[in-house]
Amino acid sequence: MDPFLTSRAVSDILGGITNGMIYGLVALSLVLIWRSTGILNFAQGAMPMFATYIGMVAFSHVFSYWPCVAVSVFVGFAIGGGTERLLVRHLYGKPELNPIVVMVGFLIVLEGAAAALWSTQPRGFINPFSPIDFQLGGKPVALSAFSLYEIITALVVMTTVAVLFRYTKLGLQLRASALAPEVSRLLGVRVNRMLTLGWVLSMGVGTITTILVASNFFTGLTPQVMDGVFAFGFIAAAVGGLESPVGAIISGVCIGVILQFVGDFLNSNYIILVALGILIVSLMVRPNGLFTKSTARRV
Amino acid sequence: MARFTRRHVVTSGCIVLAVAVSLVGAATIRDGVALSVALVIAIAGTATFSARGMRANHPTLVRVVLSAVAIDCALVSTFFFSATTNFNLAIGAAMSIVLLGLSFLTGASGQISLGSSAFMGIGALIMAMWANHHASTPIVVTLLIAVAGGALAGLLLGLPATRLRGPYLAGMTLAFAVAFTGIVNTFSSWTGGDAGLQLPTSATAPHWLVALFSVSTSPFVTNTMWITDITIVVTGVAFFFMANLFASRTGRAMRLLRDNDVAAELVGISLSRTRVIAFIVSSAYAALGGALWTLINNSVSPPSYSFALSVTILSLVVIGGIGTIPGALIGGIIYAYSANVISWITTQTGLNPQGNFASQLNGIIFGGLLIVTMLFAPMGIAGAVRHYWLRRRAGVVTE
Amino acid sequence: MITVQGLSVSFGAVQALRDVSFFAETGKITAVLGSNGAGKTTLLRTISGLKEPSSGDILLLERSLVRQKPEDIARLGVGHVPEGRGVIGEFTVEENLRLGAMMAKVNLSAGLDEQYERFPVLGQRRKQHAAKLSGGERQMLAMARALIAQPLVLLLDEPSLGLAPQVTAQLMHVIQDLCASKNLTVILVEQNASTALRISDHAVVLHLGTVVANDVASKIAVDEDLRRYYLGMVD
Repeated sequence: MDPFLTSRAVSDILGGITNGMIYGLVALSLVLIWRSTGILNFAQGAMPMFATYIGMVAFSHVFSYWPCVAVSVFVGFAIGGGTERLLVRHLYGKPELNPIVVMVGFLIVLEGAAAALWSTQPRGFINPFSPIDFQLGGKPVALSAFSLYEIITALVVMTTVAVLFRYTKLGLQLRASALAPEVSRLLGVRVNRMLTLGWVLSMGVGTITTILVASNFFTGLTPQVMDGVFAFGFIAAAVGGLESPVGAIISGVCIGVILQFVGDFLNSNYIILVALGILIVSLMVRPNGLFTKSTARRV
Repeated sequence: MARFTRRHVVTSGCIVLAVAVSLVGAATIRDGVALSVALVIAIAGTATFSARGMRANHPTLVRVVLSAVAIDCALVSTFFFSATTNFNLAIGAAMSIVLLGLSFLTGASGQISLGSSAFMGIGALIMAMWANHHASTPIVVTLLIAVAGGALAGLLLGLPATRLRGPYLAGMTLAFAVAFTGIVNTFSSWTGGDAGLQLPTSATAPHWLVALFSVSTSPFVTNTMWITDITIVVTGVAFFFMANLFASRTGRAMRLLRDNDVAAELVGISLSRTRVIAFIVSSAYAALGGALWTLINNSVSPPSYSFALSVTILSLVVIGGIGTIPGALIGGIIYAYSANVISWITTQTGLNPQGNFASQLNGIIFGGLLIVTMLFAPMGIAGAVRHYWLRRRAGVVTE
Repeated sequence: MITVQGLSVSFGAVQALRDVSFFAETGKITAVLGSNGAGKTTLLRTISGLKEPSSGDILLLERSLVRQKPEDIARLGVGHVPEGRGVIGEFTVEENLRLGAMMAKVNLSAGLDEQYERFPVLGQRRKQHAAKLSGGERQMLAMARALIAQPLVLLLDEPSLGLAPQVTAQLMHVIQDLCASKNLTVILVEQNASTALRISDHAVVLHLGTVVANDVASKIAVDEDLRRYYLGMVD
């Protein structure tokens, strides 16, 4: 068993799953916003990044790791809600081009503001999880305390979101507001609040994701930290289909594993090329995503 | 006697003014006469050929003449500008070509692209790489090769793009823009990686141009002017072709496609073919702009063709006015002087020029302008002006 | 229960309703009739808050409904079953009903039981996706969904549309029962004038946005001119 678990292939699979969970989370938050408000949030990486800077860096002198995480998540909620109310609300019903352009602009503004306020120097966080791989019979397995932290947190977040949407009153209202806003209004659902809540939740997921990425010993927090992750997360969401939260997560994990192999057996420069290739091929085969059911009718 | 319209009055006035200024201001009588003759021809040509009747009946001829006049005026003025102004003018003109391409893609066929920087980079790199291997090729030919390269890349990306709706297309082009850096690094032995490439010999002005200046003028001035002139001519030709394309059947087909693709297909317009053509055109234009930048800067630096540049390009297109030709020119001018404006802002607000804030100001301002323009004035400057004109004209008609 | 006073509604330059006034009595069925384009749907949508009027007022008892959000009006007890029914196909029958019960302070299981009793078909299909229901079943679901919140007023927009006559008759029967047992006020918009007049107490006839008749239903039913010109009831 030992040689198997420490073999190159299994190491790549484990490493790929760890990364893939992160991509899956990003894809999930994109799907959340797309399904609730019909907008593809290009600033999905930048907004939580800003919240993370506020919580983890600005408060780092006051709090230790976990309180900082809590602060970041709350700031993330606030940024999500604030953006929906102030910025996004003006974009409903406008041509497709407008929200894309505005969110791209927002992305650049946030990255610039973060760099202006906190510089582009990477910042590390002292967190209680060691990045050293576990040893099995003297050889390393591609899992560390930190990667377990990532995987478990991701699973908890995904499960929480799933439970929220399928089994709670709030989830019912959120889904109804997205599927049939006018009818929902006639049934007393406060649709505008639900739209804002969609963004708030998505930012919550996004901030936790960013904290996981930034807490990584080898990465640290920079204004651009989520750029690559966002690109891969978007690709996962697009491949899985923007309508499907489950598809998003599965695509994310698969892409994570594939790219890990590419990086190991080929060259790290090829990773983004292969990812782009996957995106192009999958969109040519199924332009609406691999996991989208044929459109359900609303009567 | 024909009635004197306002047009006749204005034209005559311009001619008189031009002759007076040239005769008074020129160094010698010979120069003055030459200048005034040139100006009279230019003004008369513009006046005649912009008349509504001419525009309706001989549209292409009008376009040719007006483009020629505009190019000539620009060329003449480079003679009087300083090297710095010429340099900025050239950079701005090349950028306006890129803006025109993207404006066309979005305005005429409704497709969103965040990959302009990558196509610019492709053109820029091809220019440098070709020149390094085949130094004797004339500049124009190398430019055309760069354009071909850009068009090919546009074809490769445009084929899958035809099936994608807005957000997916934007995301794919974003991935491409991000991947471009990876591609550059993967083949860094050819592309020079992060450090980039130099042109083997910088373009030098030909003898007859140098002869127009006094002997003491530095080669830098004449070379810059020469490069700027090349850029201006190329820009003029590019704009001319675009104007024709806009008005042609293909252009009309694209606009119909943008507004109602179902109706367009019913009329027999091939959705995928038209969209791919639009993509190829816009990427070819972007590559041309990038190649010109290499010529102007005498080198190429791949890291500068980043996703942030794509966003800047998008902002300029939006601010200038999506789908308008004047909009691309406005955007080019804004870009040419944005560096100056930003450093002026930096000094005015007392920020440390080396500090964090100042280096990010470019991104923050363009990103902010993009948001504000899209929310409050999505038609951009040129679009708003045209909208105003159309409303005025409609108002006059019904009065 | 519902008083409409001098209501005028326009869409840009087009005036859909002009100075419409009538009163819907508590516990009675008021029919709103007229041909296509008469403004019937616009009237209901204005009452439930989806459209703002340019002038006039709508009172629920003494309380003005104009300028309130649809979700707030719904929470006051105004149920609206819109044109096309608005059943959410991606939800199950039970999820649709749960959505309807959301705002009301009712016991969910009691409410569900009541609706399943009234519409047994829904009870049989409670776990099925609503998209799989037939037209008549969807109409029942839409009504049950509105009723589960125990509304004071029920606005019905063309419930018989696309339904077979027996199903329509069944539906009308249910509506009559509800009025009697729960003192429910119903405003019933119908193209099918004879069906509506048969069960209504009062009727309002609209033509091109104005009220041309406002009277006891039985009187309207026998008025020759009204029947021919506005109600499309040719003998």
